Amino acid sequence: MAIYSFWIFDKHCNCIFDREWTLISNSASGTINSKQTEETAKLLYGMIYSLRSVTQKLSRDDTANDVRSISIGKYRIHTYCTASGLWFVLLSDYKQASYAHVLQYIHSHIYVKYVTHNILSPYDFAANENETRGQGFRKIGNRNFISSLEAFLAPMIAQ
Amino acid sequence: MKSKEDINQSDKKMDRPNVASNAPTVADTQEMTEQQKLQHQLQIFQNSLPKVSQTAYMMLLNECVPLSMAVERKRGDCNSKLDRNCDDEVSQAGEQLQKIHVSPPLDPPSHQLCRELYEADEEKHNRVLDRLRNIGFEIGNKITELLVFSNNPNLQFKDMDLLSVMKFICRDVWRQMFNKQIDNLKTNHRGTFYLFDYDYQPIQSFALDSESSEKELQMVKPFLEIAVGVIKGVLASIGHAPEDVICLASYVDRPDEKPKASFTKGVSFHVQITM
Amino acid sequence: MSAPAQSKSLKAIGEDTWKNKTEKVNAELFTLTYGAIVSQLCADYDRDFQKVNNHLFSMGYNIGVRLVEDFLARTALPRCENMVKTSEMISKCAFKIFLNMTPQVTNWSSEKDAFSLMLDENPLSDFVELPMDAMKQLWYSNVLSGVLKGALEMVQLDCDVWFVSDILKGDPQTELRIKLNKVLKDEVPIGED
Repeated sequence: MAIYSFWIFDKHCNCIFDREWTLISNSASGTINSKQTEETAKLLYGMIYSLRSVTQKLSRDDTANDVRSISIGKYRIHTYCTASGLWFVLLSDYKQASYAHVLQYIHSHIYVKYVTHNILSPYDFAANENETRGQGFRKIGNRNFISSLEAFLAPMIAQ
Repeated sequence: MKSKEDINQSDKKMDRPNVASNAPTVADTQEMTEQQKLQHQLQIFQNSLPKVSQTAYMMLLNECVPLSMAVERKRGDCNSKLDRNCDDEVSQAGEQLQKIHVSPPLDPPSHQLCRELYEADEEKHNRVLDRLRNIGFEIGNKITELLVFSNNPNLQFKDMDLLSVMKFICRDVWRQMFNKQIDNLKTNHRGTFYLFDYDYQPIQSFALDSESSEKELQMVKPFLEIAVGVIKGVLASIGHAPEDVICLASYVDRPDEKPKASFTKGVSFHVQITM
Repeated sequence: MSAPAQSKSLKAIGEDTWKNKTEKVNAELFTLTYGAIVSQLCADYDRDFQKVNNHLFSMGYNIGVRLVEDFLARTALPRCENMVKTSEMISKCAFKIFLNMTPQVTNWSSEKDAFSLMLDENPLSDFVELPMDAMKQLWYSNVLSGVLKGALEMVQLDCDVWFVSDILKGDPQTELRIKLNKVLKDEVPIGED
């Protein structure tokens, strides 16, 4: 199996979308925005946050330095972080070195199209102070976003 | 008011002017070349005009809906207190803000205003729609000046009959605003028209939940009202007073042949002009 | 020198994105549409131009918070290290990509935390003339202030944005000022600080 899961975190430390795939044979398998993945989300967030902090401090000159991927035992974590505080995260096997273009595509052609330009959807998923700093629970649930994402990632799951 | 079916039956020779295709007729090939030359010139002229990004335009247009709701909210708030007090407060606050350049108070986010509009009572809701139609009317009223161009082979306003005006709306106005034409135009040749846009541009990204629903359709409906105003505005600029024109927007099913779109419904604009 | 090289590529990014990756509409239509919106607001508020100014600002804010995401997606630019970079990004990239204009950046404050944009051309207000009462009080293009405020806030820059002068009011030029109040700290999960 090539891709195991996909996550989006926002600038309030919240996971606003997650998709886990469980069966290599069935790209429709797995969960979307499930409660069971909350713990994993928090761990994932924490790890990426710590590594990003260190990475930024290890900058050699003025140019920005950021995490692109983290290789761990059985899988690789790919991250794409935007200046607006969104993190697009993909967990994959070792076959492909970089998924940066995939994550960038998701940001520009799926997220911007079906969340940012969707005036019925919030652009900020924390409705108030109490939902910031990792305490939020709202997720991206609109069908255009989900179906576009599925269509885009499904071919990459079993490779 | 006649339904679409009535029109279908009462007029067997249903005119469906094919606005989308430019299929040349055999008739007068020399005239066609002249036509094509003028079209080409028009294209070059259009391309040379100053432009802005369509994204910026579409966001400005769509933001009118939450804006109109926010105005309704503000006016509602003011009416509930004593008018004079409220105005004084706002003016004073405004003057102070001007001096120290702090940002003015902000409205709720757009998606929340859209929800408030959906939940508003009928009177409020209609006032907001009126605002949107007014904005559209002003655009439509002036857009003819923008598009009247002596080289434009589509436009000879002196001799324009109603059908030509409607084709102008379907072709030129729609293309300017939405980068596409109306997909289908139907008429009974007695002042009633249906303009079908199966992929109405401004709403393509909109979706509420995991399932398409009546609530979603109702929340999106206000986004059709600016176009309603535009149609009335164009007709007014060519001599058809708004009192003589009825224009209503509604959803229609998209034809099966059309490739799947992100917004499930198409839009039809029903225009009725009393002569 | 890294600074001029970075400037050049920002300009190139702006121009390339405008030329090749942007669908376009007639600027006149844009002017006309914005004029209709301002007109309607003036009617709604009985020509109380202070209220109109405020509402143009808040409309702009709601546009800006979303527009910035579109901008970041098109350009994949990272956060700016300082206001100088920010000013270049705004004038060479953002204004270019959305409005096909490149305002000049001037009037830097001594701490380099505030600057002005000189708008020589402005598609919002081309050929617009204001009536006398509006000339005194209306900041016609105030939507731009809101857009910039909202957009900058989304990249953790809390700024004040306001018009200093406007040729529509009879001033010699149109000047938009941006002042950084503070850099907003990135949030840390509760329990981790």
